[in-house]
Amino acid sequence: MATLTVTQNFGKGACDLGVYRSLGGYASLGPRLFDLSQFELIDLVSRSGLRGRGGAGFPTGMKWSFVPRNSGKPVYLVVNADEGEPGTFKDHVLMLEDPHRLIEGMLICGWALGVRTAYIYVRGEFLPAIEALNRALKQAYDAGILGENIQGTGYSLDIYVHRGAGAYICGEETALINSLEGYKGQPRLKPPFPAVSGAWASPTCVNNVETLMALPWILENGPAAYQALGTPKSGGTKVFSVSGDVKRPGVYEVPMGTPLMELLESKDLCQGIVGELKGVIPGGSSSPVLLAEEARKANLDYEALAALKTMLGSGAVIAFNTTRNAVGMLASLTRFYAHESCGQCTPCREGTGYADRILKSVVAGKGRDGDLEHMLDLAANFSYTTICPLAIADAWPIENFIGKFRPEFEKAVSANPGHASPRMDDDFRPGAFW
Amino acid sequence: MSNSYHMPVLPKPDGKKVTINVDGRDVEVPEGTNLVEALKTIGIATPHFCYHPDLPVAGNCRQCMVETDGPRGMGLAIACYTPVRAGMKVATDHSSEKVKTARKAVMEFQLANHPLDCPICDKAGECSLQDNYMSAGGQTSRMREGIGKQYKGSPENRHQDSKGQDRGGKHLDLGPTVILDQERCILCDRCVRFMRDVAGSEQLYIAGRGDHAFLSTFPGSELSHEYDLNVTDVCPVGALTGKHFRFHQRVWNLVSTQTIDPTDSLGANITVDHYDGQAWRIMPRRNPDVNKSWIHNDTRLAYQKLSENRLAAGLFGKNEIPLSQATSRLGELVRGARKLALVASGHLTLEDNAAILALAQFLGSRAEVFGGSWLPVGKPDNIARSGDPVPNRLGQKLLGIADNLDELVRRAKEFDVLVVVGHDLWKIAPSKAKALEAIPERIVLSAWHDDSVAKATLSVGIRSWAEVRGTMVNCQGRVQMMQAAPILPSPDLEPAWQILSSAGRLGWTSELDAFRFAQGRIPALAGLTYRNIGPMGRILEGVVA
Repeated sequence: MATLTVTQNFGKGACDLGVYRSLGGYASLGPRLFDLSQFELIDLVSRSGLRGRGGAGFPTGMKWSFVPRNSGKPVYLVVNADEGEPGTFKDHVLMLEDPHRLIEGMLICGWALGVRTAYIYVRGEFLPAIEALNRALKQAYDAGILGENIQGTGYSLDIYVHRGAGAYICGEETALINSLEGYKGQPRLKPPFPAVSGAWASPTCVNNVETLMALPWILENGPAAYQALGTPKSGGTKVFSVSGDVKRPGVYEVPMGTPLMELLESKDLCQGIVGELKGVIPGGSSSPVLLAEEARKANLDYEALAALKTMLGSGAVIAFNTTRNAVGMLASLTRFYAHESCGQCTPCREGTGYADRILKSVVAGKGRDGDLEHMLDLAANFSYTTICPLAIADAWPIENFIGKFRPEFEKAVSANPGHASPRMDDDFRPGAFW
Repeated sequence: MSNSYHMPVLPKPDGKKVTINVDGRDVEVPEGTNLVEALKTIGIATPHFCYHPDLPVAGNCRQCMVETDGPRGMGLAIACYTPVRAGMKVATDHSSEKVKTARKAVMEFQLANHPLDCPICDKAGECSLQDNYMSAGGQTSRMREGIGKQYKGSPENRHQDSKGQDRGGKHLDLGPTVILDQERCILCDRCVRFMRDVAGSEQLYIAGRGDHAFLSTFPGSELSHEYDLNVTDVCPVGALTGKHFRFHQRVWNLVSTQTIDPTDSLGANITVDHYDGQAWRIMPRRNPDVNKSWIHNDTRLAYQKLSENRLAAGLFGKNEIPLSQATSRLGELVRGARKLALVASGHLTLEDNAAILALAQFLGSRAEVFGGSWLPVGKPDNIARSGDPVPNRLGQKLLGIADNLDELVRRAKEFDVLVVVGHDLWKIAPSKAKALEAIPERIVLSAWHDDSVAKATLSVGIRSWAEVRGTMVNCQGRVQMMQAAPILPSPDLEPAWQILSSAGRLGWTSELDAFRFAQGRIPALAGLTYRNIGPMGRILEGVVA
C-alpha cells in the first residue's frame, strides 16, 4: 500500500476531534509549527514541491511568498472549496471524512502568512460537508485549537465557513473573492493579483482544500519525504476522483507519476473498466480528452500529461467506454459551460452559448455541413480573449472531442437528410428579425 | 466589485511623455495612461464598448484588444486596462492579423444575440455596434436557421415570435425618464457603473449570468435619479433611451451647437442638437475639468423650454406690437428717463451684461445698474452642478455689478424707468418684486412670456441662451463660449446686447464689440478672443482663490 498523505484517515471517523487526535492529528500544533519562522515554513513548503491541487498546479510555496509582509492590511486565507468542475468530487469527500486535517492545514498556512481571519468558501450544495466543517470548527474552538491565543502561543486564528450560491465560476479565485465580499461572482481584472489585493483589497491567499490538507503530513515527515513520493518535478501524492465506466468509482490517493491505467485497473483502486475503454478525461471536464491508446501511455503528473497536450487539473478522471457517444458527451459539456459562463466578457458570454446552440441542433439531427468548422472557429475565437479561463475550458473539449472523434460528429451531422443543403435564408435571415 | 476602484488614468495636457513602439513606429505618448487613450493621442482609434474615460474600467467587452509584448512574447491584451510603459511594443489591427481576427470575432459575438432592429432604434447613427462593425467587424453572418438567438431579457417578458424565435424585454419602463430594451443590451455594464460610481446610487444591475444575463432595476424599485438620463448617453447601443427623445428625431439629421448649461454656475458643457430650426435634445459635451461627461436631467431637458411660451414680439401693455416698434419705444423711454434703474442678470452672457454697463455709462448719472440674484444657492453635488442656479454670477461680479437687488427694492420710488434684462424678478421673489411696481415705466427684456413680462408696461422679446453667441464665467473662474444655434422662433429676435446697444446708440455691430467692452472692465480677460477661449474654456488667472 502506497503512502497516503491526505486520505489516511478515511473511514476512521476522523470527523470527531478525539478520533482525529488519536490518529496523530494536531501534532503539528506545537514546537513543530510554532518554532518555525514564517520564512522557514514557506521555504519548507517550497522544498516539498507541493503544487496547488485545485487545477492550475501553481507551486504553493511560491504563491505564499507573493503575499506582502507588513502591508498594513490584514492577510486573509481563503480556502477554495467551491468544487464545481464536472467530475470532481474529491474536496467534498475530504471535508466530509477529515475536516480537522483541513483546519490543521489552515493553521499551518495561517502561521506562515500571519493570517488572523480565514474563510472556507464551500460550494453551497455541499451541505453534509458544511455540517461536518461546522461541527469540527466548534470542537476546535472548544478545545482551544482556534480562536484567541491558540495554546498560549499568542497566535490567533478565526475560521468562518462561507456557503457559495452555486456558481461554477466562483471556483476562480477572484470570482470567489467577489462572491465572498458579497458581490456577483465574476472574475476580476488582473493585476492586481489576490496575493497583493484580494478580499477587501487586502493581501489574500487562496488555496485548495487538498493543498492545505497535505501540509500536516509534510510538516511531520519533512519536505524531502513528500517530494520523494512523486516524480522529481511533481512531488507528493494526488487525490483523484474517478468516475465513469470503471468498476469502483470513488476518491483515491496515489503518488504523482502513477500510470493512469494503474489507477483505473488496480484491484486496490478502481478495479478495471466496464466494457471497452474508449477514452479518458484526465483532469476534469475542461481538460482535453485522451483516447484509449493515449491513456495507456499516460502517467498522472503535471509534466507527463502536459506532454500529451492535456492536464492533471483537479484530478477528476472520467473514463468512458465504447458505448458512449462523443457527440452527446460534448453536448452536455458545452451546455454546462454556456450555463456557467458568468456573462462578463463578450466572447465567453455569447460564444459558449452560440457553440452550444450549434451542437444542440446537430444532436437534434438538424446539423449542416460546416457546423463543425464553425464550432471550431468559435472555440478558437473565444479562447485566450477573456478575463478568466472559463472560455478556454469550453474551447478545449470542443477542439479535442471534435478533433479526436471526428467521424462520430460527421455521422451526427449527416443524420440530417438536408445536411448539405445551402443556407435557407427565407427561414431565418439576419436583418429580418421582425 | 473591486474592479470599480480602477478609474482610468487619463493623459494630462502637460504630462510627461514616453516612447512606445506602435506597429513598428516609435511614437511619443503620455505616460501612465492606458493604451486606448495613448493611441488616441497619436490618432489611432481603438474600437470599444465598455471603456469610458469617466467610468471605472470593467474590461468586459474585449473589443479593444491589441497585441503587446509580455514575458511570453507578443500576446493579446485589452487596451483599456494595459498601462503605457516606456519602450513597450504594441501592435494594432494595422499590423497584426491576430488583433484583426480577435476584434472581428468579438464583433461577431456581440451581434450573435443582438436584434438587428436598427431601422426603429433611436441609437442608430450614433451606435457603437454600428461604428465598430464598420471599423472592426465587417463579417457576414454565419448564423443559420435552427441555431437562433439566445433570448436576453427577464424571464417574465419572454415570448415567441412568428418565426419561433424567443423575443421580449422591449420597451420596459424603468422609471420616470428611461426606457429599457433588454434585447438590445450588450451587457457592457456602463450604466451600472455610472449609477454606482458616479451617481452614487446603485439602481441598476445585471441579473443572471452567461448569455441569459439581462439588465434590470432591482425588483420592485425603479430607476429614478436626477442624473439618470446620463445612462442613455453611456449606453453604447439602443438599450437605454430617454423618454424625452425616444422616437422624436433621427440622430443623423441633428446638427450640434456647442454651448453651456444655462441652469447652473458650474456651466456644464453641452451641445444643443437641432434640426429644421428646432432643438431636439441637449447632450453633454465632455470637459474633464468641468462636468466630465455628465449633465443634470434639468439641464438636459432645458431645450424643451426653447420652443415653449416664447415672447417673439414686443408687448405694449397687453397689446402685441412688432419688435422694431418695441425696440424704438424702449430707446425713447431709456433716453428720456429722469432716473433709470437697469437690472442686469447672471442668466445672461458677459456681452449682454457689458451692454447694460455701456448703456449706463452712456446715460451717465441718470442711470444706475443693479445686479445679483434672489435665487438661493444650494450645495455642489460633485457631478455636474455647483448648486448655484445663476450661471454667470461670477462674470457679473467681475464686471463690477454689485449684488444689490434689495437696495433697488428699498429705493424703488426714486426711479421713473426700470429696465429688467433677462431676469424674471417677479417669478423668483414676487413679494420683493411687488415694490418695483411703484416705478411707472417698467420695461422687461425677456425671451419668454414670464411673470415679469406680465407686470411690465413694455416688453421686448430677446433671444434665449441657446440662440446667442457669447461668454460666461463659471464658478471655477473659467470663461466659456456659448455658440448660437439657428433655432430662433422668430427671425426678428435679437440678442439683449444689440437691443441695448441701439437704445444707447452704442453702435455695436457684433458680440465682439460687447466682449471688448467687457475686456476693458475685466483685466483677466486680456488677450482672450473667442477663438482662443476654445471649446473647453479658459481659466481666468487670479479670479477664484
